[in-house]
Amino acid sequence: MCPSLDVIAADPSADQAFLEALADWCDRYTPLVALDGTDGLFLDITGCAHLHGGEKALVSDVLSRLFSLGVEARATVSSSAGLSWAAARYGKVAVIAPDDADWVLAPLPVTALRLPAETAAALERVGLKEVGDLLEAPRAPLARRFGSFLLLRLDQARGLEDEPLSPRLPVPSFSSERRLAEPLQDEEYIVELTRHLAKDVRSSLERHGEGGRLFELLLFRVDGRVFRVRAHAAVPLNDADRIAALFRERLQAVHDDLDAGYGFEILRLAVIRSERLDPAQEDFSGVADESQPLAAFIDKVAARFGPDCLMQAALFESHLPERAGGFAPLRDVAAAMRPSALEGKAIPENRPLRIFAHPERVEATAEVPEGAPRSFNWRKTHYRVARAEGPERIAAEWWIDGEAHPTRDYFRVEDQEGRRFWLFREGLYGREVSTARWFMHGVFA
Amino acid sequence: MAGNGMQRQTVLSLRETIARIEDRRLPGCVRAASAADPAGFRGEREEASRRKLLPVGVPQFDGVLKGGLPLEGMTEIRNAETRDAGAAAGFVAALAALYQREKKERGHLAPILWISQALACQEAGQPYAPGLASYGLDAERFLFVSVRTVKDALWIAETALSVPVFAAVVLEIRGNPACLALSESRRLHVRARAGGVPLLVFRQAGEEEASSAFFRFQVKPASAGERPLPDGSVLCGSIGHPSFHLLVEKSRAYAPLDIFMEWNAHDRRFYPIDERRSAALQTDDKPANPVDPLSASAGRSGRAQPLGRLVAFARAS
Repeated sequence: MCPSLDVIAADPSADQAFLEALADWCDRYTPLVALDGTDGLFLDITGCAHLHGGEKALVSDVLSRLFSLGVEARATVSSSAGLSWAAARYGKVAVIAPDDADWVLAPLPVTALRLPAETAAALERVGLKEVGDLLEAPRAPLARRFGSFLLLRLDQARGLEDEPLSPRLPVPSFSSERRLAEPLQDEEYIVELTRHLAKDVRSSLERHGEGGRLFELLLFRVDGRVFRVRAHAAVPLNDADRIAALFRERLQAVHDDLDAGYGFEILRLAVIRSERLDPAQEDFSGVADESQPLAAFIDKVAARFGPDCLMQAALFESHLPERAGGFAPLRDVAAAMRPSALEGKAIPENRPLRIFAHPERVEATAEVPEGAPRSFNWRKTHYRVARAEGPERIAAEWWIDGEAHPTRDYFRVEDQEGRRFWLFREGLYGREVSTARWFMHGVFA
Repeated sequence: MAGNGMQRQTVLSLRETIARIEDRRLPGCVRAASAADPAGFRGEREEASRRKLLPVGVPQFDGVLKGGLPLEGMTEIRNAETRDAGAAAGFVAALAALYQREKKERGHLAPILWISQALACQEAGQPYAPGLASYGLDAERFLFVSVRTVKDALWIAETALSVPVFAAVVLEIRGNPACLALSESRRLHVRARAGGVPLLVFRQAGEEEASSAFFRFQVKPASAGERPLPDGSVLCGSIGHPSFHLLVEKSRAYAPLDIFMEWNAHDRRFYPIDERRSAALQTDDKPANPVDPLSASAGRSGRAQPLGRLVAFARAS
């Protein structure tokens, strides 16, 4: 029918991603950006407009920048979200003063009120085609016939009813940004600028007696892409050098994903999560707290290898060896420097120094079925057992594994050359299994 | 005659350089006035006042260490085969426990950092917290990092050596990776000395290789003693405290070939193994001359090539 027609399949997820990228880009104007369906954005510019030279200048700045990005957009500034929505889609005015709401709304079609399709169709059937018709009509019959939602939308558009916007991202409690005349590409300069931003943030953090635990660096690239780099701190932090050091490691870690392109024009440092930080007196050595250097080390490692990389040995309440001990990500730095809480805890004796994550199958021969092994094959090597201690019988935890899980008999054996191993036989003869399987679970010192 | 004198001077200056590298005084050798060493070696006089040691309590071992374990700098421990990793890990953990106890006695609750190449953990098993706790280590202050590549492990080690919080840093790697060669080990050693942190490089299933470590030991398994009974006898057939067979591969003192000792987790210290058990392997040929002879090169140069190294000959044509 139409051979020259180029058909491109719709890709809603890509559209959504693009809209979100635009929302990120709009962060430059205000931190309160909300998505509106699939084709719109709400920006709450309360208190931000003067930073961009007034509302008119802001709208023209948004539109001209979007135009240069290749996006055709329309925008309206007004005192309510509903009115902005209606005017941006159906009207021609860029900035609407609060008093002009009715005047602007009156000539618009009723669909401008964000109504469901059937309500709009019903309104048009009875001849109420424009918003102005609704404004003049008595409210009670309207509500009776078309539901209260219509009047809610109408009041929201007129600014009589409040409409909360839900911003995409939590608004950082502290942030500081720098707009650059000349785009920045070099990582060194980014870190240096981050240090300056951290100094700005520090003063407001100090005023509130807080320190940041999670920082975010927003990098606005000249072509509209926005990069977010997050860095965790092990302890509440307000020191500019430490914050900059965090991002130095972090930027190196994400180096491949961070394409500077033609450079970044805006840098913003935001504190996403902060905690109380009591100022500490520095002693003569210049270090306020013994845990500070450790925290700095942890931050550096975590920035590079992820927050769960550094782990702390932990003991758990369990009989099964693989559940009784393990490593948990280090969360509380101060605990690593405090006196031990394990002092009084009973630690089982005769546990191996190293344990295999998955017990390895061995072929073992025992003198008597229930007895210690005499020899075994492990990793294609034959070992003769010189001495053995055991068994230590450890039953499965039925409340986790179920009642059918076999019991284990652990033996501590030493081979003829002096290597000490921890072997276990799975299953009790006669009661649980007919042929037992042997496993290597750990090695002793 | 003049040529002879020149030669002697060259030899003397070389000996002096070696002495400086090894941080020891050469008898009868006049030191040149070179206080600021461009290579970063510390002068000996400064060293003598600063050198901090931790006596182990086994006379033979302390003799090799010249007084005790160094409290800063690098020590290398290796084992020959993966299956011996338990013994070597035990020796490393025991040294770490000694370092940790020493810090505790001085009033610092210092953690131990164990950096491990992920491959090493897969092959020889992960450190096990209850085992470490019953071995005498402070399990709560045992920090563990497992990273995929040796390069990452080296980066963490270097970062850790620059913060003065750790009682000891253990770097566990597998084999002899090219990225931990002499220059890298030198870098780590200098860092460890500058930071005042002992670094234990635990080379799992690795060959001996030139490094800047103060000492290098090979750990072999040794059969343990038997459990003592209250009446003084031992429980027949039981497995007592872990024992180690140590081969000193690099040291500055004259080293007997084999040192046997056992670790008492309860006392948190090493004990020498009684004579009856180690007599067969001990050699007691201390020289009358008080000057230290050269360190024994335990099977280093001139030994027979081990079997099974040459996998295939190069093609003839």
